[in-house]
Amino acid sequence: MIRFLLRRLAFALLLVIAVSSSALLLTRLAPGDLTTELGPRARAEDIARARERFDLNRSPVGQLGGWALRAARFDFGDSFLYDRPVSGLIRRAAGNTAVLAITALAVATFVGIPLGIITGSRRGGMAALIRGVSLLCLSIPPLLTSLLLVFLASRTGWLPAGGMTSVEAVDAGWSAWLLDVMRHLPLPALALALPLAATFERLQAQAMTETIHQPFVTAALARGVTWRQLLIDHAWRASLRSMCAVYGLAIGALLSGSFVVEYVTAWPGLGRLMYEALRARDVYLVAGCAAMGGVFLAIGSVVADLLLFAADPRVREATAE
Amino acid sequence: MKARLLGIVVTAAILAGGYWVWTSPDGAGGLGRQNAEREGGPQHRGGQLVTSGRAGPRTFNRFVGQDQLSSVLSMLTMGHLLRVNLSTFEVEPWLAEKWDASADNLTYTFHLRPGLMWSDGVPFTADDVVFSLKAIFDAKTGSYLQDVLSVDGKPITADAPDASTVVIHFPAPSGPGLRLLDSLWVMPKHKLESALAAGTFAKAWGTDTSPSDLAGMGPFVIREYVPNQRIVLDRNPHYWRKADDGTQLPYLDRIVYEVIPDQDAELLRLQSGDVDLTQSELRPDDYVPAKRAEDQGKLKLAEVGLSPKADAFWFNLKPEAWKSDPRFAFVRKREFRQAISYAVDREKYAENVYLGAAVPIWGPVTPGNTLWFWPDVPRYFHDVNKAKEVLKSIGLEDRNGNGVVEDAQGREARFTVLTQRGVGWYERGLAELRTQLAPVGIAIEAAPLENAALIQRMLGSDYEAMYQRFGTTDLDPASELDMWLSSGDAHFWHMGDAHPEPWETEIDALMKSNMTTPDQAKRKEIFKQVQRIHAENLPVLYFVAPRMYYAYNVRVQGVKPSVLRPVALWNADMLSVR
Repeated sequence: MIRFLLRRLAFALLLVIAVSSSALLLTRLAPGDLTTELGPRARAEDIARARERFDLNRSPVGQLGGWALRAARFDFGDSFLYDRPVSGLIRRAAGNTAVLAITALAVATFVGIPLGIITGSRRGGMAALIRGVSLLCLSIPPLLTSLLLVFLASRTGWLPAGGMTSVEAVDAGWSAWLLDVMRHLPLPALALALPLAATFERLQAQAMTETIHQPFVTAALARGVTWRQLLIDHAWRASLRSMCAVYGLAIGALLSGSFVVEYVTAWPGLGRLMYEALRARDVYLVAGCAAMGGVFLAIGSVVADLLLFAADPRVREATAE
Repeated sequence: MKARLLGIVVTAAILAGGYWVWTSPDGAGGLGRQNAEREGGPQHRGGQLVTSGRAGPRTFNRFVGQDQLSSVLSMLTMGHLLRVNLSTFEVEPWLAEKWDASADNLTYTFHLRPGLMWSDGVPFTADDVVFSLKAIFDAKTGSYLQDVLSVDGKPITADAPDASTVVIHFPAPSGPGLRLLDSLWVMPKHKLESALAAGTFAKAWGTDTSPSDLAGMGPFVIREYVPNQRIVLDRNPHYWRKADDGTQLPYLDRIVYEVIPDQDAELLRLQSGDVDLTQSELRPDDYVPAKRAEDQGKLKLAEVGLSPKADAFWFNLKPEAWKSDPRFAFVRKREFRQAISYAVDREKYAENVYLGAAVPIWGPVTPGNTLWFWPDVPRYFHDVNKAKEVLKSIGLEDRNGNGVVEDAQGREARFTVLTQRGVGWYERGLAELRTQLAPVGIAIEAAPLENAALIQRMLGSDYEAMYQRFGTTDLDPASELDMWLSSGDAHFWHMGDAHPEPWETEIDALMKSNMTTPDQAKRKEIFKQVQRIHAENLPVLYFVAPRMYYAYNVRVQGVKPSVLRPVALWNADMLSVR
C-alpha cells in the first residue's frame, strides 16, 4: 500500500512539473505577451521595463529554467496583473475553488448517484423523467447554465447573482461572513453540480443495469435477499468500480477550477484566475495556476485510486502482490 | 404514456415559470427589490453605492498605474491643483482655489485652499506638490506621466515659496496649458518620501499595501481590497469640498467597486439592482434590455451624447510590412482609400452596425468632441460610381469579371482585416464593410483575434488592414500627440515611421505648433488644417460616431454622464443615493 502511494505521489509530482512547464512555455509561445496589457499606446520604455522585469527578454527555455529554480524554493514569481507574488494569489483562489468544488461534488454525489440507482434499477415514468432531465443538464453548455442561473437570481432576488460575499459582509463578524458565503454558494455550485450530477446519474444507471443482470444478483435473489437489500448491499457496491474512476477525474477537474462558471458568476477561484492570466499572458501566474491545477488533478487521481482500492477487492489483491 | 404526460406537465410548468420571471415588472411577481422611484428631490448624505468593472487594480500608485481603473481610483481617492470638468470640459479650481499667470503664460502661482488635510489628518502643503513632480520625473520611478507633464520635451517644474503657495513653471509655451495639470495627482510626501529616496517609488503602494499606509486628498479612502472581488472605499473624513448649500461632501458614506469579469453578468446585476452603476456606456446590443428595465422603473437611461471616438478602419501603410507584396503599390495611394470612403453608405452602416444610433462622420474628430470638431472637414458622400471611377483612375478594374478589381498585372484588391474577437459591433462593422465594398470590387475578409494577439500584430506592423477603436482620456488633440506625430508610439497606420510622407511631415509641424500655441482660437485653426490633411489623405477611415447611452439605478442621484470615462464616477463626491 505504501509503495502504491509513493508511486502515485511520484506520478503526481511529475504531473505538476509537466503541466506547469508546458503552461509557461505555451504562454511564451502564444502570440502576444503581457506587455500588450499596457495597451496599443504604451510607451516603448514601459514595454521594455515590463519585459525586463518578467524575463521576457530571455529565451522561453531559459525563462523556464530560471522559474523552475525559483519554484523549487517556493518562489513562483510575481503576477503582472496583480503586481504581487503569485503564491498568495493562488493560495486564496485555490481555497475559494476548493469550497465551491467540494460543495458541487457533494450535491452531484448525493443527487446523481441515488437517482442513478433508481433509473438503473427501475422502469417507468419517474425513471424516464429523471433520464430526460439528466440529458437536458448534460446537453446545456456550462456557460448557458451559469448565465441562466445568474439571470434567474437577478430577476427573482432569491439568491445573490454573483460574487462570493456581499458588500454587507465587509463589516460583519466571522459567523455572518460564513453565512454570507453560504448564501452565495448555491448559484455557482448548482451551475457546476447540475451537469456533474447528470453524468453521475447516467453512469450509475448504466452500471446498475449491467450489475443487476449478473448471475450473482439472481443467486442473491434466490437466497431470499430483499430487492432493497440487493440493490444497496450487493448491486450498488459491485457497480461502484466504474464510478470510482470517473469520480476521481471529476474531483480533479472541479478542483482545478471551472473558468466558465467562475467567470460568469464572479466567483474568485482558480479557474477565473487562470483565465484572466492566460488572457493577459501573465506568464508566471499562468504557470502557478497550472501547477496548482496539476496538484488538484493529482489529488483527484489519488482519490480515485484509493476509492477503487476500497471498492474492488481485485485491486486490493493486485496491489498486495 | 404516464412519463410523456409528466414530461409535458413539467415542461409547461418550466415555461410558465420562465414567462412569469421574464415578464414580471420587478422580478418574481413582486419579489424584486426595486422601486419605480425617479431621480429628483434633494440629495442627502449617507448610504453606499455599488459600482462595478471588469478587473481589479494593478497598483494604487497613480504614477505607474496606467489602466482605466487607476484613473477611476485617482478620481475617488486623490486630488490635483485643478481639474478638467468632464461635463463642461472647462478647467476649474480644485485644491488650489485660484491662480495667477505671468505675462508670458510660463509661470503660474497657485494659492492652495486654507486648512487642507490629507485623509490621515496630516496638513497638505505646497511641498506635497513639489514632491509629486519630483517623484514623477525621478528616473527610477519612470512614470508615464513624464510625457504628459512635459512641454517640448522638457519637464514642468514647481517650487513652494510658502506652505500654501505653489509656483509652476512651464519650460515653453504650451497649447493645452493648465489642462496638463489635470494629470498632476498629488501624492503625500509624508508617506512616500522614504520610498523616493530609496529609489523604490515605482513599487510603492502596490495592491498589497495596507490601507492605513495610503493617504489621499480625494472624497474617498480605500478601506479594503480583496483581489478579484472588490474594493471598498469609505468617506474621507478630511475631504475639503462642500456642496453649494454648504453640505459637507461627499454625500455617500461608501463606494463599493465589485469586480465582475463578464459584461453580460454585469448587465444582469445592474438590472437586478445589485449594482448601481458601471464604468462604461452601454454596448449597442444592451440598449434594448436597458430600455426595458427603464420602462419597468429599475434603471435610468441617459443619452450621453455622441461618442468622441469612432471605429477606425485602416491599411498598414508601412512599406516594410508589405515586403515585396505588389498590392502596396495601390494601397499606398490616397485615391484607393478615397474610393473606399465613397463606396460606404454611412447611413446604412449606422443602421446595420449601431441599430441606427450613430451619425455619419468623415474624420477622427466626431461631433461628440464639442471643443475640436470641424463640421466642414472634406467629405466623401456615398457614390458607388464615383468610387469605381477613382479606382479606375489608379488602374484598378475588374478585368477578369470575378467581381474583384485588379491592377494591370492582375493583382487583386483582396485583403484580410484584423479585429478584436468577441466585440459584436466590430464583427458587424466588418461584415457591413464587406457587403458595401463588394459592389466596387474590393474584397475584405474579417479575421477576429484575441486582444493580446491583435495588439502584438499591430505593434509589430504584421497585418494588411485593421478595424479597431481607441479610447481617449481628453478631448484636446494634445492628448493624442502619440497618434498624430509620425514619430509617435501610437502612429498606428505607420508604426516607427522613419520616412514620413510629405503630408505627414506637414501634420507633424502643425501639431507641434498646436502644442506650443497658447492662443486657443489659433490652436483651433491649426487643428482644422490637420483635420483637412487627414481627410484628404485618409490614413484612417471613419464612418460613424455612435450615440452613447448610460444606464444606472434610479436610486442614484447627481449623475452627470460624461462622454469620457469614467462616465459617472468622475463626479463621485456629488453622487448620492436615496
